[in-house]
Amino acid sequence: MKKFSQLAIPYIVWMVLMLVLPMALIAMYSITQHGNSIISFSFTLEHYKKFFTDSDFLLVLGRSLMIAFKTTVICLFIGYPAAYFIARSSEKIQNILIMAITIPTWINMLVRTYAWIGLLSEDGIVQQIIKSLGLGEVELLYTEGAVLLGMVYNFIPFMILQINSALCKMDPFLLEAAADLGASKAEAFKKVTFPLSLPGVINGITLVFLPAVSSFFIPKLLGGGQYFLIGNLIENQFITAGEWNFGSAISMIMAIVMMLMMMLVKKVEVHNNGGKEEE
Amino acid sequence: MKKDKRMFGKLLMIALIIFFYAPILYMIVFSFNEGKSLTHFSGFSLKWYHHMLESRDMMEALYTTFSIAILSTLISTVIGTVTAIGLSKSRKVVRDVVEQVNNLPIMNPEIVTAIGFMLLFITFQVEKGYVTMLLAHIAFCIPYVILSVMPKVRSLDPNLADAAMDLGATPMQALLKVIVPQITPGIVSGALIAFTMSVDDFIISYFVTGQGVKNLSIMVYTMSKRVNPSINAISTLVVVIITLALIAINLIPVFVSKQQEKGKGNAARGILLGVAAVLLMVSTVGFALHGGLKKGNKPYEGQTLRIYSPGEYIGENVIPDFEEMTGARVVLELFDSNEQMYIKVANGEAYDILIPSDYMIERLIQEELLQKVDKSQLLNMDFINEEVMNLNYDPGNEYSVPYFWGSVGIVYDSTKVSEEELEQEGYNIFLNPKYKGDIYLYDSERDSFMMALKALGYSMNTESQEELEEAFKWFETCVTTMDPEIVTDEIIDNMAQGRKALGIVYSGDAAYVMSENENMGYYEPKEGTNIWCDAMVIPSNAENVELAHEFMNYMCDYEAAYDNSDFVGYTSPNEEVMEELYGEGGTYEGINAYIPRSGYERDESFVFNERTRKIISNLWSKVKIVASNVN
Repeated sequence: MKKFSQLAIPYIVWMVLMLVLPMALIAMYSITQHGNSIISFSFTLEHYKKFFTDSDFLLVLGRSLMIAFKTTVICLFIGYPAAYFIARSSEKIQNILIMAITIPTWINMLVRTYAWIGLLSEDGIVQQIIKSLGLGEVELLYTEGAVLLGMVYNFIPFMILQINSALCKMDPFLLEAAADLGASKAEAFKKVTFPLSLPGVINGITLVFLPAVSSFFIPKLLGGGQYFLIGNLIENQFITAGEWNFGSAISMIMAIVMMLMMMLVKKVEVHNNGGKEEE
Repeated sequence: MKKDKRMFGKLLMIALIIFFYAPILYMIVFSFNEGKSLTHFSGFSLKWYHHMLESRDMMEALYTTFSIAILSTLISTVIGTVTAIGLSKSRKVVRDVVEQVNNLPIMNPEIVTAIGFMLLFITFQVEKGYVTMLLAHIAFCIPYVILSVMPKVRSLDPNLADAAMDLGATPMQALLKVIVPQITPGIVSGALIAFTMSVDDFIISYFVTGQGVKNLSIMVYTMSKRVNPSINAISTLVVVIITLALIAINLIPVFVSKQQEKGKGNAARGILLGVAAVLLMVSTVGFALHGGLKKGNKPYEGQTLRIYSPGEYIGENVIPDFEEMTGARVVLELFDSNEQMYIKVANGEAYDILIPSDYMIERLIQEELLQKVDKSQLLNMDFINEEVMNLNYDPGNEYSVPYFWGSVGIVYDSTKVSEEELEQEGYNIFLNPKYKGDIYLYDSERDSFMMALKALGYSMNTESQEELEEAFKWFETCVTTMDPEIVTDEIIDNMAQGRKALGIVYSGDAAYVMSENENMGYYEPKEGTNIWCDAMVIPSNAENVELAHEFMNYMCDYEAAYDNSDFVGYTSPNEEVMEELYGEGGTYEGINAYIPRSGYERDESFVFNERTRKIISNLWSKVKIVASNVN
């Protein structure tokens, strides 16, 4: 039996090398003076100072969090009912629907986002539909709406699949038991179904919120060059400006902000489960 | 009541399915479009498929994407499952710590993980390429596998393995025959997540790749600025491959279960078979790509030439012809900006030829990153126009061979803007409220600042902090009052379709726009502009210097130079080609943008200065940030 525990050892080594060390490197870069080398290390906090003393950078961070938040909320409110509907369908339909949602995620994200450019552009199909409905001309491409749409489009499948798998894991007899014990449908949902789907919801939120915050190709393709999110700022520091230290500092800030937010979300989960989770 | 709910659910699902598939359907339809437009279907044609099949770049991207996805899925599923089982029997402290760390790539924004990997590989001087991409994919897939297997392992009866072993099973048997079958659903979903993540991944791959290795995402990202319907074709191919694989996964268990009694492991077996089918397909493509080299007795048979060039900057037959002639294989990697190229080169990535701009060449020479060219191997340099020889950045052309040249100017829709207006206002027309919401700025820090500085009457090579600040203020006014779109190469197709009244572009792009749309004009402002020259250079760490010379010499020759300039629209340094293309019957007959202005006193070329470069770079990102904060 103890033998099995040794199975984890190789991964622990790998993990230190591939997951811990990179983070340590980012942290190192973020507190060293210019020069993309950590051999000539000289401590400084100026990169952090630069970020926090400039309202423009803070605005970018704020907007990135905001749009990721909006994306997550939309995904949750559309994704939950969808996942619920799927979970309540017959097995055959369930499989078909799951597949229908999964297939698009297997087709490259950039490619699908690229397709939206054609759909949204002036005299594109969506424009024509809007016009034929007599709603006048609306600018679609290169707006925040387009970025939001792109994000929801790319990330909502994760939400649906996560919630769905949590719902499917649920023992159907629990609901029968609840009904036998006199719970109404609404009560059963509130007291049984929803709490049990919560791990899925949390995973879904994580899988939507995180990529939404750091995405830089969706804003670039659908928002245009003047739509700048924190991901674009970081990419810019590493790829074109060559300011790795400042870029690392922004990365650290972002990682810490995310960590805090996710801890908060996890707290909600644990709280709601009331220590039900066993070891 | 219940009916209503089902109804709502059905409608929602239908809406979602339409939402999911509209872009995909659109892609498929437009992959058969005769024309280049993304909005009008002008007839059925298979030409984009021809393009795709002929483009080794695309086929390799396809191969890279799937081979990496399959390898990383297999490896990470095995490691992840084994680790999850191991962890469930480990001490709680160990398990908690590992789970926390394991969450890093899941809890971290992807871009942070990506940068971590990049810094790791650079610190340990692992050359970036296929292997680094694979390692990174495995590293970010395992946590997802563990996450999805772990709950299943936990829900197992802890005594199960013991019971099996008490009954005489070896630990291995207990693992494979008892534990694994119980957690199969978790393993399968973990593998599926890993596969999806890997196929879809862009950010991490983008930061850890090198040597021209790219997956589909990177390919699209580095080429998507200009309309290229071949992307639709390759996407359609991907849809077909994925659909076939999925059908295989779903049908095989059905067949199998018809023969046998219904068994539990069938879904897993089906997936394995599906994976095997895809693997087979991928390896076939791989062999076609790598094994398809014909043996011959060409001078450079089996050698590789690595070129790093700006995007959309090379004629479509130029490289295939060169490969045909020499037998060598060309790996073409594209960059968005000189600055991006510089960072890679300065970090030791090896190329045989770079095609940077004048000021960047000056910088590379100063930093001793280039080697001198051997002119005895470059006899065709005689055909090069005197105008672009002996320029400031490289007197005597000791390091560089001109590739394209031109100016920066204003492309305008003559139905909306008159030339008189342009002459009166020059660059300041970009502050004229009349054109609010109707202008494009170009996302290049150098040329944007050139424009603002010239508009203010300063030299574009100014070193004065105040003048640069003033230029920033000029842009601040522009982005806060004019609602411009800041774009890169997408400006080309958009102006060709007359989407906006004004834009700032390179002359060669304007030439292409004008050849597509006769209403478009090109104007070089009287305040002066940037007369630039891009040239081929050989980095000091180049691996195949002889072949690099061969290529440079080839590019100076009439035929290749004609092909190149004809296709791209930039001005050829080969004088004969330039005159031919501009002259009667030429592709760019009478198009002023094809012949850059020369000898105008206010025109300048960029001079490299590290200090101002940094200032400009920072100010330009500020411009973009301010622009996005306006919205």
